[in-house]
Amino acid sequence: MSLWLDAASAAATLNVVLLTALVGIWARNYLEFRSKHPLGLLVFGLLLLAENCLSVYYYVIDPEVAALLRSAAPVAGRAMTFVQILELAAIVFLAWVTWD
Amino acid sequence: MEGILWYVLTGTRGGRNRIRILQAVDERPRNANQLAEDLELDYKTVRHHLDVLVDNDIVDKSGDDYGAVYLPSDRVRANWETVEEIFERVE
Repeated sequence: MSLWLDAASAAATLNVVLLTALVGIWARNYLEFRSKHPLGLLVFGLLLLAENCLSVYYYVIDPEVAALLRSAAPVAGRAMTFVQILELAAIVFLAWVTWD
Repeated sequence: MEGILWYVLTGTRGGRNRIRILQAVDERPRNANQLAEDLELDYKTVRHHLDVLVDNDIVDKSGDDYGAVYLPSDRVRANWETVEEIFERVE
C-alpha cells in the first residue's frame, strides 16, 4: 500500500506545482483582459488546485487519514494512484498548450 | 473561430504578444524581421508566435519562406468584431 500511496502523493504534488504555474498565467491574463475565457480557466484551475492540495493533505499530512491509508488494503491505494496519474497526464497536456 | 481567437489570444502565456503581432500586421503586412524590430521582441519569439497564428488560421503568410510577409487571414477578417473586442481589452 505504501508504495502505491507514495506514487499517488508524488503525482498529486506535481499537479500542485503545475497548476500553480497555470493559475498564475490565467490570473495574469484575466487581470489584463477581463474576459471570460481566462476567467473560466482560472476558476477551473483553482478548483483543481484545491482538490490536489486536499489530496496531498490526506495522503501525506493528515495524521489519521494518512496513517489509515498506509495501513489499508493495497487495492485502494492502487485505485487512487491511477486516478491521480490520469489527472497528472491531463494537466501536463493542458500545461503544454497553455505555456505556448 | 471566435472561441479559437479568445483562447489563442487571451488564454495562453504568449497571448499578449500575439495580440501585438496581429495589431501590427493589420496596420500593414510585415515579415518576421520587421515584426521583431518594430515590437522589440526576440526574432525566435516572433517566429514561434507567427507559427501559432498561422496554425490557427489567424494570419496568412504571403510570399516565399525568406522575407515572407504576414497579414490577417480571410477567416479572421470575417470575425473582425471579435478581434476588435479583444484589442479593446488590451488598451
